[in-house]
Amino acid sequence: MATSFSLKIVTCDGLIFDGQAEKLIVRTSTGDMAVLARHINCVCSLGMGRAILETNGERKTAACIGGMLQVLNGDVTLVPTTFEWAEDIDVARADAAYENAQKVLNASDNKDNLVIMKAKAKLNRALVRKSVAGEILR
Amino acid sequence: MAGVSTKDIKNRIRSMESTKQITKAMEMVAASKLRQAQNRVTASRPYFEILYQTISDITRTTRDLSSPYLKKPQSDKLLLIVIAGDRGLAGGYNGNVLKLSVQQMEGRDTTVLPIGKKAVEYFRSHKVPCHTEAYSEAADLSISDCFTIAKNISKAFLAGEYGEIKLVYTNFVSVLSQVPAVMGMLPLNVPKETESRSTKMDTVYEPSAEEVFAAIIPECLGGILYGALCESRCAEQAARRTAMDSATQNAEEMIADLTLKFNRARQASITQEITEIVAGAEA
Repeated sequence: MATSFSLKIVTCDGLIFDGQAEKLIVRTSTGDMAVLARHINCVCSLGMGRAILETNGERKTAACIGGMLQVLNGDVTLVPTTFEWAEDIDVARADAAYENAQKVLNASDNKDNLVIMKAKAKLNRALVRKSVAGEILR
Repeated sequence: MAGVSTKDIKNRIRSMESTKQITKAMEMVAASKLRQAQNRVTASRPYFEILYQTISDITRTTRDLSSPYLKKPQSDKLLLIVIAGDRGLAGGYNGNVLKLSVQQMEGRDTTVLPIGKKAVEYFRSHKVPCHTEAYSEAADLSISDCFTIAKNISKAFLAGEYGEIKLVYTNFVSVLSQVPAVMGMLPLNVPKETESRSTKMDTVYEPSAEEVFAAIIPECLGGILYGALCESRCAEQAARRTAMDSATQNAEEMIADLTLKFNRARQASITQEITEIVAGAEA
């Protein structure tokens, strides 16, 4: 078995994970990054995407959006803005958000930048959730 | 006359009783809201603490001190974010928070960002300039609002509008004790021990320290703001519950006192009547 490291995942809804993990893959703002034991100290900002966590040979996926990852002296802290395990994702809500955002984007082109940016961000979040949730259904 | 006074006392007892009912009901409402708020605080506390810890770790270990978030401010202006309640009747809750903010503002060029109706009203009547009054309902504020505020204030900070940003909120210590507190948000505190930094392990910033800072700091501030908001909301309910509990007790005491007075007055009027009758019969 691979060596494990201590991992904490906290969001504002509480402590989601606190324990030993063997591997953590997250989507940072520049691309996917895998963290194994004895990783060098690092800090990076997270993008939107799938996170994969391996503990005791078990593999779990989640939708992980925004926030940051910190590795300090071997302890890993993941502080995302939102983090949902694949099985907890509300697919109906994501679908609705996707439709709404599409509608806003398609509606007209005279809107200000802020509305479009918000709709795009919503669209992306919905897509991430849908794809992560879709993976376990398959 | 004794008859009038018993009627007066009766009326007062009745009004006391209805006051007691109201305070009792308010206490019960506050107690149930407190329970919810307490759950939220216990859930968000680890996030709050880890965020704060991480920010201070980053500022401690970073070598890149050129980040505008860490720099000594050029401007002297202070932005004070004040979290108070939407309603009164919460004991000293609103008063304490506002008193502390006034202390912070003393002798400084200050703009406030009030959160909660009571804070908005207070600063408006004292003619303190407001950054925005858009967040007058503390109870309605969502986490995404917190992130929006954080983004706005960090932008304003980077633009040099403010030299310092502080947050005044109420710490929920326990159900019986809530302490108003001040927290510095920006610029981030750089610890003094510059020599020991070289002995610390290197930290890799992906993609670069500057970009990581730019992405992370507004997020962290948003998280901290949300945490402070949860604490404040919980403290408000706790303060209201305690205040209403003592109001109910006071009402009970007064009712007991008045009932005693009422009985005495009634007894006195009966005695007087008997004396009059006896005196009339003897005459």
